[in-house]
Amino acid sequence: MSLLYFPGCTLKNKARNFDASTLEVFSALGVELAELERWNCCGTVFSMADDDLMLQLAPLRNLLRAEQQGGGELLVPCSMCYNTLRRAQRFAAADPERLGRIRDFMYDEPSAYRGDVEVRHPLAYLRDRVGLERVKQAVERPLGGLRLGAYYGCLLLRPSELAVDDPARPRVMEDLIAALGAEPVEFGQRAECCGAYQTLSWRAVTLRRTYEILGSACAAGARALLTSCPLCAYNLDQMQREAVKSYPDLCAMPVLYFTELMVIAMGLGWKPEWSALHEVDPQPVLDAAGA
Amino acid sequence: MATEDKLVTIHVMGEAFRVPEGSTIMTALEYAGFQLTTGVGCREGFCGACGTLYREAGDYKIKGGLACQTVVTDGMHLAQIPFVPAAKPVYDIEALSPDEEAIKRIYPEVFRCVACSTCTKICPQDIQVMDYVQCLMRGDIAQAANISFDCLRCGLCGLRCPAEIVQYNAATLARRLYGRYLARPSERLERRVEAIARGDYDAQLDELQGLDADALKKRYYDREIKTK
Amino acid sequence: MYPESMQESIRKVEASRARRIELALSGKPVVEPMSAEQRQDVLDRFHPDYQDDARREVRWGPNAGQRLTTEVADLLETYARVDPSDYDLLEPDFDTDVLVIGAGSAGFCAALLAQEHGARVTLATKLRLGDANSMMAQGGIQAAVRDDDSPVHHYLDVVGGGHFDNRPELARALVSEAPDAIAWLRRKGVMFDQEDDGSLKAKPGGGTCRPRMLSARDYTGAAICRTLRDEIQNRPEIRVLEHSSAIELIKDARGRVAGAVLYHLLTREHFTIRARATVMATGGFGRLHVKGFETTNHYGATADGLVMAYRAGARLLYMDSVQYHPTGAVFPPQILGFLCTEKLRGMGGQPVNADGELFVYPLEPRDVEAASFIREATELGHGVSTPSGHVGIWLDTPVIEKLNGAGAIEKNLPAMLRQFQRFGVDIRSEPILVYPTLHYQNGGIEIDVECRSTVEGLYAAGEVAGGIHGRNRLMGNSQLDLIVFGRRAGRYAAAFAGTAEPAELSLGHVLEANRRVGELGVDRDRISPLVLPDYVPERVKRRQHDTRYRGTLI
Ligand SMILES: Cc1cc2nc3c(=O)[nH]c(=O)nc-3n(C[C@H](O)[C@H](O)[C@H](O)COP(=O)(O)OP(=O)(O)OC[C@H]3O[C@@H](n4cnc5c(N)ncnc54)[C@H](O)[C@@H]3O)c2cc1C
Repeated sequence: MSLLYFPGCTLKNKARNFDASTLEVFSALGVELAELERWNCCGTVFSMADDDLMLQLAPLRNLLRAEQQGGGELLVPCSMCYNTLRRAQRFAAADPERLGRIRDFMYDEPSAYRGDVEVRHPLAYLRDRVGLERVKQAVERPLGGLRLGAYYGCLLLRPSELAVDDPARPRVMEDLIAALGAEPVEFGQRAECCGAYQTLSWRAVTLRRTYEILGSACAAGARALLTSCPLCAYNLDQMQREAVKSYPDLCAMPVLYFTELMVIAMGLGWKPEWSALHEVDPQPVLDAAGA
Repeated sequence: MATEDKLVTIHVMGEAFRVPEGSTIMTALEYAGFQLTTGVGCREGFCGACGTLYREAGDYKIKGGLACQTVVTDGMHLAQIPFVPAAKPVYDIEALSPDEEAIKRIYPEVFRCVACSTCTKICPQDIQVMDYVQCLMRGDIAQAANISFDCLRCGLCGLRCPAEIVQYNAATLARRLYGRYLARPSERLERRVEAIARGDYDAQLDELQGLDADALKKRYYDREIKTK
Repeated sequence: MYPESMQESIRKVEASRARRIELALSGKPVVEPMSAEQRQDVLDRFHPDYQDDARREVRWGPNAGQRLTTEVADLLETYARVDPSDYDLLEPDFDTDVLVIGAGSAGFCAALLAQEHGARVTLATKLRLGDANSMMAQGGIQAAVRDDDSPVHHYLDVVGGGHFDNRPELARALVSEAPDAIAWLRRKGVMFDQEDDGSLKAKPGGGTCRPRMLSARDYTGAAICRTLRDEIQNRPEIRVLEHSSAIELIKDARGRVAGAVLYHLLTREHFTIRARATVMATGGFGRLHVKGFETTNHYGATADGLVMAYRAGARLLYMDSVQYHPTGAVFPPQILGFLCTEKLRGMGGQPVNADGELFVYPLEPRDVEAASFIREATELGHGVSTPSGHVGIWLDTPVIEKLNGAGAIEKNLPAMLRQFQRFGVDIRSEPILVYPTLHYQNGGIEIDVECRSTVEGLYAAGEVAGGIHGRNRLMGNSQLDLIVFGRRAGRYAAAFAGTAEPAELSLGHVLEANRRVGELGVDRDRISPLVLPDYVPERVKRRQHDTRYRGTLI
């Protein structure tokens, strides 16, 4: 079967490993992802302020594209893009009058958005459509009980209407970890903010968040973290080198996209160039799978 | 050209002129008595000097056209936009990489795009301007170069953009980056350049240059013609 | 979109199409190319250049006594626009090493290379950077890059196309530097069309014995020119003066060319500039509308460089020959005279008459092809008339899709598709009506391989220069000559500037030229350079009581 797929900008540059591993994993599970044609930036940041209709154009145009290309479900792995597009989906459904104004502005499009698109995150899709049991069956190299922390951050869980799981007690990523033969560890900061774009404006805040989140995971016994957000990955992984200067006792550990972990466990081809996209070498995780 | 008894009214910067039906905006302006020194160039749709904004009678939509390529309609309002204010940043093409980092460095405002598509709507060349801006944001230089290829740099997109992006400048950079770094190497070309430098053809060219007129003509008319 | 009166003929074109496609697929020429005698016959009888009134003797100056194109001779026998007593030449407004006049691709190359060779460079142009014929080239640029081709084949084509009048050493430099010129452009970031294996796509062109036409879709000139312009703008050391038309050259006490008088089109100020070397790169003369022809050329193509150089004592070469491009648009009337690129024929488009019949090999050299069209439409009466009273012959473009696959036109000829689509004609399914249009100045300022004119200090490159193409340029060799000789001009002018010591400036040659023209009894209102063509309607002129027309309005 084939599913429309929205990669988002970051998956085309800094998070190429997220893009590639998502494609591989889904293909191995029998779901062919068809990249949306003529997609544009999800519209993050801008569209979160909903006082200006202009800023809803980017996400809605993506939904319209999906509709023009068959509609139905649209798979969006990046937490940020997911959050933005899912919000837009709800906005369009909830406020027909303002949607009408946007449609009017988009007169150059061959069709107007009807609301036929369901934005889905792969974690939810794996749980609800593919089934974690199937994932389990597809595991070739179980992860030998490696202790892993699932880091949700903000965007997969908040606001609650968009959450991929129970925002107070999420478990979808933990269940996935278990299905892959590793041991999930829950830790206190798994749904706290990573510092997000403070990296650009107020770096100290992010450095402290990096330190605390990693510390929390470490204390719970995690050897590596999983994420579905390139920004979180940046703050938690790439920033470790800088953070250790301020916090010499920082607990270093690799940070992987959950799809990368699936590639490893399912015995699909890990690409050496993915390692180069990580600051902290993910080799220990590969070793655990005997890969 | 159009017969002079059939005239229509156009409003040039608000002022009404009667001009021949069927004429382009450019020839209509000349008919009205303007001698153009700006907003005119090749007069054939290739140089982008004559970008014009207009509205047609009874339509609120603002449209973009090249004055030399757009036919006047009765009741049209227009203003020529000979130049869109934007400095061109200076860069060394040799010191850039063909990815989004180059765009970030030289044209950071590209990342302000809100995907409103106003640029695409106004483009007189019907280029998917917004699509190539989006490609630039994600570092897809090849696709940006490809989509923007037919751009004439009339500048209307940059004028209309709510995010104040100068699309055509960024597109020029993308095409140069593609041509410089991403286009496949052509071994045949390089081999030929080397062969010429080695002097491989000198003797034959010397010989041709030395032939008398009749011998040269014979060579020419006898040469084999290949079309494939 | 075509009116009913033209439909019947279109049906005949459609009826013969399948047969003609079959012919083309055979790989052999669809019509036998002409012999030398046949070529001469059709030229003698139908090419506009060969008609009695096409040429007349110029009566003064370096080419005195030679028969030149009538409009050119008329232009050379005019008075100067400047009054030498208006300028203080002891205090020029600008000072530079190399002055480049004209910002098309030839001027851009000259400016870039002169700057790279250490000169202070000033680039002055009439309108904006790139408002030039260089931007308009569609079809391609020649370079022998295929394995079955070579500079030797290229050379033969160049001199045969030029009726063996080419200066051999110029033609040789042209073909020998072609591949390097392309490689240089690619390093600057020009995107050429490529095959899957990376080799450059090469198509046949009029008068070429091998497919040699490299292209960038059908925006070849734009792709090159806009890249060079961007590079110029990346070098702030190059001083750019826009809207600054040169209206006369300045010489010095030793008789060298040593700068120019510039006229700012917007502020109407005049400026003087002293230069140790001057490169003329002002392009062609299409806006002279020779013999009343429509033209493909840009607005500023008014032969300014020719007349300025002539007054300064430079000899012209082959200014008796005019290039008419065979395929200028005839319908719809809004695009009358606009170019329909030769690439249309390079990709298999076929000229056919009103009955849908082939009558000429589609890729003869341009003068031969154009003359054949005129014969077909006039003597033989096989042309097609439009409602506005023009006549043309068909160029069957749908054949291109059939020969190259569906989508070939959109991919390779987007400019042409767009041009006609804007006016309601779809060239993928309908033929287009064409007739020769004034296109190119074959001759120009005589130069040697270092781009030196016959006056010291004056260099020339591009369409304004003469000798490279003899009496007929082949498609794609002009874009090539801009790069080859533009670069040479910049290099050699910079070297010359490095050795030239300034001497006292003078406009004495202008006074002398005026005197000579005065002796001929020429009307005082005839002045030049024209700067811009005069398109102001008589009805308007009659009311402009405070404006005097001298040559043109400016
Ligand atoms: C429509 C068209 C299509 C063509 N297609 C092809 C093709 O496919 N292949 C090919 O090889 N050739 C082609 N040619 C021919 C080729 O493009 C031109 O011959 C060539 O571009 C001339 O370049 P240039 O730099 O000499 O002059 P131009 O590009 O014309 O530049 C001359 C510049 O000088 C400026 N100028 C003029 N007078 C003055 C003055 N008095 N003072 C200051 N500046 C002045 C002009 O404004 C202009 O900017 C085509 C030409 C046209 C018109």
